[in-house]
Amino acid sequence: MAFAILQGVALYTYFTYLSFPRSQYLTSASQVNGEILKVKNEVTKHFNLAYNNTLLQQENIALRERLPQSFIPLQSGIVKINDTLFKQQYEYIAATVINSTFDKRNNYFTLNIGSSQGVERGLGVFSDKGVVGIVHNVSEHFSVVKSVLTESINIDVMIESSGAFGLLKWDGESPRIGNITGISNDMRIKRWTKVVTRGGSGIFPKGIPVGKVSKLESVEGKPLWNISVLYAEDYRKIQRVYVIKNLIKQEQEKLESLIPQDKATGQ
Amino acid sequence: MRIFLIHTLRFILFMFAQALLFNQLEVGLGIQAMIYPLFILLLPYDINIFLSMLICFALGAGIDSISNTYGLHASSAVLLAYLRPGIFKLFEPRDGYENTQEMNIYGMDSTWLLSVFGLMLLIHHLWFFTLELFKLNEIGFILQKTILSVPISLVLCILIQVIFVKKPSGNR
Repeated sequence: MAFAILQGVALYTYFTYLSFPRSQYLTSASQVNGEILKVKNEVTKHFNLAYNNTLLQQENIALRERLPQSFIPLQSGIVKINDTLFKQQYEYIAATVINSTFDKRNNYFTLNIGSSQGVERGLGVFSDKGVVGIVHNVSEHFSVVKSVLTESINIDVMIESSGAFGLLKWDGESPRIGNITGISNDMRIKRWTKVVTRGGSGIFPKGIPVGKVSKLESVEGKPLWNISVLYAEDYRKIQRVYVIKNLIKQEQEKLESLIPQDKATGQ
Repeated sequence: MRIFLIHTLRFILFMFAQALLFNQLEVGLGIQAMIYPLFILLLPYDINIFLSMLICFALGAGIDSISNTYGLHASSAVLLAYLRPGIFKLFEPRDGYENTQEMNIYGMDSTWLLSVFGLMLLIHHLWFFTLELFKLNEIGFILQKTILSVPISLVLCILIQVIFVKKPSGNR
């Protein structure tokens, strides 16, 4: 009897957490575990220091190339004014991954920032090489990210050259390879074309790299491609990430909620 | 009182070793080394089954909470605690167990230890990976993970005993 109760509790937590996090007490977002993992990260973070420095340097170079100083003015007489044509849409928060796995069926990353730094459930997370995941659970100083190495991640992505779009999924086998479903097989897709985020759901901006098409197969009995994507980021050694906040996401959601639901297809 | 302290200390050590060290080792091929079944084996022989299940649940939940597995380890540990007395009964030596002895490599002979602990690890890993993948068409991968992980966990646990369990002096 006691066996049944304890098993029940354990299995209930396991199977319900995947869809919605009810509590933070049994996760690495809780205060105690967060502190433990922070200490662990203090010890292990130096192992990849050289590699991380190179990455940051490369990113700095890329950003520096876009500074006004690195452009030669081709036309003189243009005056720069503080324009009102652009409004900031995305805000970035830098974070460190303090705990991560890659060989489980559903892999979560713990970040060292939480609600006090402005993180909310549902924000996107990416690194300088590619997309990482979506924030799943937040406590005051820590947050847990549902990574792209999770079965039901469903980020909307597109093939960069053709614009064909589908949903990104993971089959749980290799941490380097994901799948895209929902692209119909009359589209012409070349191997090794780039895959980027589509920006449809307002979580990620358009054009954050995901990876490259590595294999094309047709799904049996359906007019669809099953596309394998070689991820651009190596999630086995990820450390530096950015959380991205869409400042006008609510506006998009509000507008899209006015679309009448299609009852026939159940979507 | 002394035995209570020993097991509390072991509980903490095994929890952190598993969560912070062995769960971070990601070897590939689906191999995952798990050492906390050794804690369950080393619990006192005559412990109340209800108490042992509670302890194991707490141990598993602690590991779960650090490594974001939400109840997988807790479920497997409780199952193991539930089956432990039955397995011991199955492999009972001809003249029974002595009440005071501990189930470590110095207290028991090696055949007994290999068969009992091997069986416990097999059940534990099979249950764990089945729950983790939970799909019928991935039974091959479940078996692959189980078959590759069990020997590694077994070897690790024996090494841990060789290194850390104090050899009883003289009175054998």
